[in-house]
Amino acid sequence: MPAILGSYRFLNMQASSLNEAASVTTASRSRPILRWLLLPLVILAGMGLSVEAGLLGPLGVQVGHLWATLSIFGVGSAILFLLLLLAGRQQGPALNELPRWQLIGGFLGPIYVVVLTLATPHIGIAMTMIAILSGQVGKSVLIDHFGWFGATRKRVNGERWLALALIVVALVLIARG
Amino acid sequence: MSVFLLLLVVVAAGAVLSVQAAINGRLGQTVGVLRSSLLTFTVGTVVTGLLIVFFEPAHAVSLLDVPKWQLSGALFGVVYMIVMVGAVPKVGTAVATVAVIVGQLAMGMLIDNFGWLGNPAIELSGSRLLAMACLALALVFMYRSSARQA
Repeated sequence: MPAILGSYRFLNMQASSLNEAASVTTASRSRPILRWLLLPLVILAGMGLSVEAGLLGPLGVQVGHLWATLSIFGVGSAILFLLLLLAGRQQGPALNELPRWQLIGGFLGPIYVVVLTLATPHIGIAMTMIAILSGQVGKSVLIDHFGWFGATRKRVNGERWLALALIVVALVLIARG
Repeated sequence: MSVFLLLLVVVAAGAVLSVQAAINGRLGQTVGVLRSSLLTFTVGTVVTGLLIVFFEPAHAVSLLDVPKWQLSGALFGVVYMIVMVGAVPKVGTAVATVAVIVGQLAMGMLIDNFGWLGNPAIELSGSRLLAMACLALALVFMYRSSARQA
């Protein structure tokens, strides 16, 4: 899911692909009615992510974490391959013309899914989701603040530190049960 | 593995995920969401397959033995992707992000509380509800700070 998975989970509102996708078309915001119709759909999509995580944990216990991960990537690849065939010609450069480092996403994806199958049977799905969120927020706050990985160093405002602190509190609360 | 240690691992996985999301976001912009996702999934399949060949111990139960519904996880991910591609330009990134998180957590709580899908039941306690409230507040702050910078 990682791609998706990837796409799924970001709170990092500045660097996410969603953000980039949205920036192209922010001008064409639709009528309010359509927005309110779409919102439940997006919430349902988010619920699907938890269902996915809920399926992964028990599956990993039965067949092994790597096999469970393979089921996600294997089925996902097959579906995406079919969708791509049906979608016809795609715009943009061929995949083999891209800079190699952009392919790293595929290596990072399995790490995430394996951790998901490992963790959910022990700490529950809600807690896993919160921990993932705090990792995402923490990463973006720290990278911005310290300028890691060659990012431009910029001041992280108080609200984002506060958000991070609140997420950590949430984690501690859930960890204590 | 202790819960605390496990928690740290999951937080680290969240950080990895957001690095991946940033890389894939750029990739998706140039080659399209379908192709970037297929690439990620294919590489993920191959990497996982290699890891299985060399590291995974044998299990009594294989993927082909479990009930088929347990293999449907990937479908939810693909549906998610399609919904996001369609909805984000219309509702905006921030609203979509918050809506996804609301859905994730609500469903996560439900699955935990009732032990759906074969998961161990974890009762919805006062501190879990309080944690939700903290998270909601955190999202408000994130939203405000990114709205100001935009």
